[in-house]
Amino acid sequence: MADPIEQEIQDEIKKHKILIYGKGTKALPMCGFTRETVQFFDKYGYPYEVVDVLPNPAKREALTKMTNWPTLPKVFINGHFYGDTDILEPMEKKGELEPLLKEAFKNG
Amino acid sequence: MITTDMLTNYIQRIIPDAKVSVTDRTGTMDHFSIRVVSDLFKGKNLLDRHRLIYHALDEPMKDGRIHALEIKAETTDGT
Repeated sequence: MADPIEQEIQDEIKKHKILIYGKGTKALPMCGFTRETVQFFDKYGYPYEVVDVLPNPAKREALTKMTNWPTLPKVFINGHFYGDTDILEPMEKKGELEPLLKEAFKNG
Repeated sequence: MITTDMLTNYIQRIIPDAKVSVTDRTGTMDHFSIRVVSDLFKGKNLLDRHRLIYHALDEPMKDGRIHALEIKAETTDGT
């Protein structure tokens, strides 16, 4: 049986087409990069979820191991990991992000 | 505190041909934007390029000398 924390993460990744693990919440981001990522997705108008991992160090550690990515925020789109705005912005410039989001929300 | 030269040395230990430019974003020398140019990135996607740089800077990130880091990682022909 998968480790409960990993299972919780897997469920969240499947449930939310755009998922931001970060510091703080959507309404009250606690770090500049989490706020920047929230603002980044606000532009697109697609629904997204922010999960605050500050109060849950074990989950934060599991995510770091799972993604081999040491920092927060960590963004998942359609179940796949995309780092943070350092990755998403160049993708956006190359026109790779829009089709990805359309695909993710294609069947409602 | 960490200096631009120390940051560059850390990176060049893992990416020997790296050209590194560092911007101190807040004047406190711990919130940085860095641009790393190397042909070692050829054929590597963005995530793996950044993972390489995080690996190179693992120590100063873990000990807090680097608090926040924005990364640009390109090859010499700017791709």
